[in-house]
Amino acid sequence: MSRGGAAHFALAMPVLTTDALILRTYHLGEADRIVVFLTPGRGKKRGVANGARSPRSRRFAGGLEPLTAVRLAYYEREHRDLVRLRYVEPVRSPMSARDGGRLGYVEYFAEILDECAQEAEPNAPLFRLGSAVGALLAGEIPIARLARYFEYWVLRLQGVYPSLNVCGRCGRRPERGGRIDAAGGGFRCGACAGDRGLPLSAEAVRFLRDAAATPPDALAQVGLPPRADQELDRAHGRLLAMHLEKELRAARVLRAMARTSPGATSS
Amino acid sequence: MTRVEPLVRLTGELQKLPGIGAKSAQRLAFHLLKQPRGEADQLCEAIRDVKERVVYCSVCSNITDCDPCFYCTDAGRDRRLLCVVEDPHNVAAIEKTGDFKGAYHVLMGALSPLKGVGPDDLRIAGLLRRVGGGEVTEVILATNPNVEGEATAIYLAKLLKPLGVRVSRIAMGVPVGSDLEYADEITMLKAMEGRREM
Repeated sequence: MSRGGAAHFALAMPVLTTDALILRTYHLGEADRIVVFLTPGRGKKRGVANGARSPRSRRFAGGLEPLTAVRLAYYEREHRDLVRLRYVEPVRSPMSARDGGRLGYVEYFAEILDECAQEAEPNAPLFRLGSAVGALLAGEIPIARLARYFEYWVLRLQGVYPSLNVCGRCGRRPERGGRIDAAGGGFRCGACAGDRGLPLSAEAVRFLRDAAATPPDALAQVGLPPRADQELDRAHGRLLAMHLEKELRAARVLRAMARTSPGATSS
Repeated sequence: MTRVEPLVRLTGELQKLPGIGAKSAQRLAFHLLKQPRGEADQLCEAIRDVKERVVYCSVCSNITDCDPCFYCTDAGRDRRLLCVVEDPHNVAAIEKTGDFKGAYHVLMGALSPLKGVGPDDLRIAGLLRRVGGGEVTEVILATNPNVEGEATAIYLAKLLKPLGVRVSRIAMGVPVGSDLEYADEITMLKAMEGRREM
C-alpha cells in the first residue's frame, strides 16, 4: 500500500478516545515506543506511539511514564494486535509526588496491574483501583499502607483473597488473628492452623477488614502498625507469587533497595 | 532478495543493528560490496578495535580506550564536583555544553523495578567509594527526568547525604526555544518547582 493509501486507510478507521493508565513502555526501533495501557472499558491494550522517544514529541511528551493517568486516542487495525496511538495527554503523573521516595513503588503497582489485567478484557474495578492508588501517590498516606491496601484489593478482585471473617476449618470468628495459607488452605484461626501458613496478627486482620470497607481516599483513617505491615507484606507477596506463578521483579528490586538504603522507598 | 551466500550473511548481520530493517541492511550490504577492498578492511578493523580496545574506566565506569579515562586523568578538571549519569552517552551530552568541568560517574543504567534492575546491578559501590574518599564536595545527580531516573536520584541522595557532601539534582522543565503553550502539565509543574531567583 502506498503512503497516501496507508494514510487514507488510517483516517478511515474510527479513532477511539478513552481514559487510560499507562502500565509500561518498550523501545521500538530508533524513535518509537510500544505502550501497554489499561482502559476502563476495553481492558489492557498495546499500541505503537510513533516518535515517542523524541524529546520534541508533543503528542506523547510526559505522558508515557508508568502509572500516569492519561486521556488518549488510538485506532485499531484489522488483524493487528497493536493499536496506533494518536496522542496521549497526561491527566495526572506520579512524577508530581512531593515525596520522591514513593517513586520506587510506581513500577511495582504498574507491574501488578500489568500482570493481573487481561488483554482486551474490560476490568473497570481494576482500572478504578489503579487510578485511585496512582492519585494517592501524590498525597500523604504512608506508602506501605497504600501498598498493602492495593495488594489486598488486587487479590480480592482476582478472587484470590480468602475470607477473613471465619476460620476456614472450624467456622468460628478468629478474634486473635490466625494464619493464611497461600497454597490454598485459606485463612484459619490459630488453634486450627498449627504452624501451616503465614501468621496474621489481630492488627493485620483488623487492617484488612477496615480496608475492605474503606474507599481509597479515606485510607488515611485506617491504621497499620509496623508488625502488621510486615506480616501482610510477606503474606501478600506469597499470595501474588502463587497466583501469578512467578515472583514479581519489582518486588525483588524494592526489597534490594530497602535493604541497601532503608527509607529510600518509604515515607 | 539475493541468493549469494556471503551477501545474505552480511545482510543478516547488518539487520541485527538497531534501526536497520531488511531493506536498509540489503542496501548497506550492496554499498559495501561496491566499495574498494581497503574501505571494507578499515570498517572491519574499526569494529574489531572497538571490541578489543574499548573498556570501562576503573574509576568512573565510562567507556574509554585507556584506563583510567580522559576525564579521570585530566588535571584541568575539578574533582570536587562529581556528575552522576546513567549511561556513557549521557557524558557526551553534558560535554557538548562545554560548561561542566568536573568529573563523572556512570551508573550503567537506572533502578528499574519493572525490568528487575536493582541497586546491585548498578555501579553504586564505586560511587560511594569515590565520594567516601573525601575529595568530592558536591554530587550532581544527572539521571534521566523520568520515573526510573528520579527514583534512582532519590535513592542515591539518601545514600550520599550521610557522607557529608552536597547533593544536587539537575533542573527539569521547559526546553529552550519551545513554547509554554505546548508544554505538558508535568513539565510545567517541574519547571515551576525548579524556578530560581533572578
